Amino acid sequence: MVDIWNIVILEPVLNILIWLTNILGGSFGLAIIVLTIVINLILFPLRARQTKSTKAMQTLQPKIQELQKKYAKDKQRLQQEMMKLYREAGINPLGCLWPMLIQLPVWIALYQSIMQALGATPESLLNLSQHLYSWAAVGHAIPLNEQFLWLHLSQPDPNLILAILVGGTMWVQQKMVTPPATDPRQRSMTNLTTTMMPLMFGLFTLSFPSGLALYWAVSNIIGIVIQYFVSGGWGYLRAPAPPKTAPAPAQKVLPPPKMPAAEKSKMLQQANEESKTIKKASEEKKKGLFGR
Amino acid sequence: MISFFKKNKKFLNLIPVLIILSLLVVGCAGPTFQGWSGFAEYKGFLYFGGIDGKVYALNLTARSQNQTFPAENEWVFTIPSTGVPGSVCGPACAPASPRASIYATPVVLGDLVCVGVYGGNTGRVVAINRLAPGYTDGVPQRSKGEWTYPSGVKTMGAVVGTPVAVGQTLYVGTSDGNLYAIETTYGENKWQYGTGGKIWTSPAVEDDIVYISNYNKKVFAVSSQGNEIWSTELPTSVASSPAVSADSIFVGTFDNHLYALDLATGKERWNFKADNWFWATPLVIGDTVYAGCLDDKVYAINAGTGQEQWQFVTNGAIASSPISVDNFIIVASEIGDIYVLDSATGNMVRSIHIGSPVKAPLLADGNTLYIHTGNLCVYAFDIQSGEKLWEFCYSSNE
Repeated sequence: MVDIWNIVILEPVLNILIWLTNILGGSFGLAIIVLTIVINLILFPLRARQTKSTKAMQTLQPKIQELQKKYAKDKQRLQQEMMKLYREAGINPLGCLWPMLIQLPVWIALYQSIMQALGATPESLLNLSQHLYSWAAVGHAIPLNEQFLWLHLSQPDPNLILAILVGGTMWVQQKMVTPPATDPRQRSMTNLTTTMMPLMFGLFTLSFPSGLALYWAVSNIIGIVIQYFVSGGWGYLRAPAPPKTAPAPAQKVLPPPKMPAAEKSKMLQQANEESKTIKKASEEKKKGLFGR
Repeated sequence: MISFFKKNKKFLNLIPVLIILSLLVVGCAGPTFQGWSGFAEYKGFLYFGGIDGKVYALNLTARSQNQTFPAENEWVFTIPSTGVPGSVCGPACAPASPRASIYATPVVLGDLVCVGVYGGNTGRVVAINRLAPGYTDGVPQRSKGEWTYPSGVKTMGAVVGTPVAVGQTLYVGTSDGNLYAIETTYGENKWQYGTGGKIWTSPAVEDDIVYISNYNKKVFAVSSQGNEIWSTELPTSVASSPAVSADSIFVGTFDNHLYALDLATGKERWNFKADNWFWATPLVIGDTVYAGCLDDKVYAINAGTGQEQWQFVTNGAIASSPISVDNFIIVASEIGDIYVLDSATGNMVRSIHIGSPVKAPLLADGNTLYIHTGNLCVYAFDIQSGEKLWEFCYSSNE
């Protein structure tokens, strides 16, 4: 299994990365940037599809919430209605999941390649020999020049610049795609992804080789650009924060305001009609299903 | 189906976490360093740096009698961490100040054992009194005749290549690109020569001239006063430490070549192409260069012409340098097989299966072969019979 992974995924990425380093004047930093851009371009259709699916799913959220309220007690019905809604909107609910899963091995290969290509320790340099093609350009580039701008690519960036860049770009990217949540549980999950992940990656940047951090930063920037052009703007980055739900009164529960009798009977009548319509629609649907 | 969606929604939220975990696992698997020190044999003792970052002194008599370690005059010394954030992985998967590792073979100078230390981005040379009965953790004190270079808490570039001692001078190349000449009595800097590229190989000294290569494609000849005699640039960087003969210097490169350079001028005499790097230091005996290669082969090449005399295919990459005993060439494959070859024909006389990785240089003393393996063991074999004489595994000392 490891051999298949190495031959099919890791080694092509690794050798292209080293080859790029050679043709880019021995700059491994530039090679990381170029390869990250190229891989993003190749994966662009998948990423665009993922972005669109996510956006479409988010636009349906108010309707889904309505349905959830409406059929809170009838789970089966809720499921049917939601499926219908997705079908009508032309959305596959798993559409945003598969592109992400397909991209994952490529990102891991790129990540692994950067680590291996750096040959930061004697063991990893020696191990690198077993993964290289016999291309002259590859041999001439080894061992890679780890100097790029102010960075030593095999060492963590001692300044905060790269950490801020990685954390900041990741935060912007997360913010662009994450809708402001109204539900407190959902809000805490959203906060976790939009705040904790950039923070964690920012901290990792302080201890991981800066070559990797460079790759994270470039990936994030490309992600932001794709998000901007596919979604047509800054997305939820500029969206106003959701109104916080007012805390429930702690002591006295006030009786509901009295409703005029005429209005009350009008509402009851409306509810009855709605109920009849739903029942009728449901029966028609049943007929349709069994009549086929 | 609704539950399926709900589950997937949770799964979607978990995906970023999964990505982080995968990256961390992959990342942490890569940049580890352990070391592959060879042996220095002196007056019935074997000194080597363990993969656990400790220096061991083994009494060969006690080992052959399988006495409990430490027996008489045996000791183990923990090299202190270089103490500077030099980790390549960091707090996510490794301590910020990793323990020291030892790639360089120790050098015995009278009563001192000099050890080159690798600490990621930093390093130093530590001189230990080999006659001391035992050590605890801590930096050796000068008052006991021991020293560290640089002294105190200062560090220099990491040491990977084995230092070479000539008289009272220790030559050591480091990853900061400098060749240091260190006076061995007090550990003082005599001079240093900047090569402009990382040095992970050993120097070679011949007639008071130090030959050293760096990872910036250059090979240098430097006088014992620290002045450059010549430097030459190759098409690619040098992977192996240099081996010197009467009139040539031999180096293996990262473009799968073995180069012969003129000892006086540094000009190329010939090159020989293989299918992978010549990582191990070549061995020169008379008119023949014996070179182990990472393409799983040992080559015997005419030192004057660069013509191949014979090749022998092993079952793994050869990272440790070949050695010569009588009319035999002994090589170890990285996956743990030792081959005793006829030096004239390349025919295999015998093989010894160890089954654990061998990257450290071998040592032969008389009819005994010493091997330091990746499973934290030292083996002694009889070269003539191929029988195992004794083994010492130090993993229990951790």
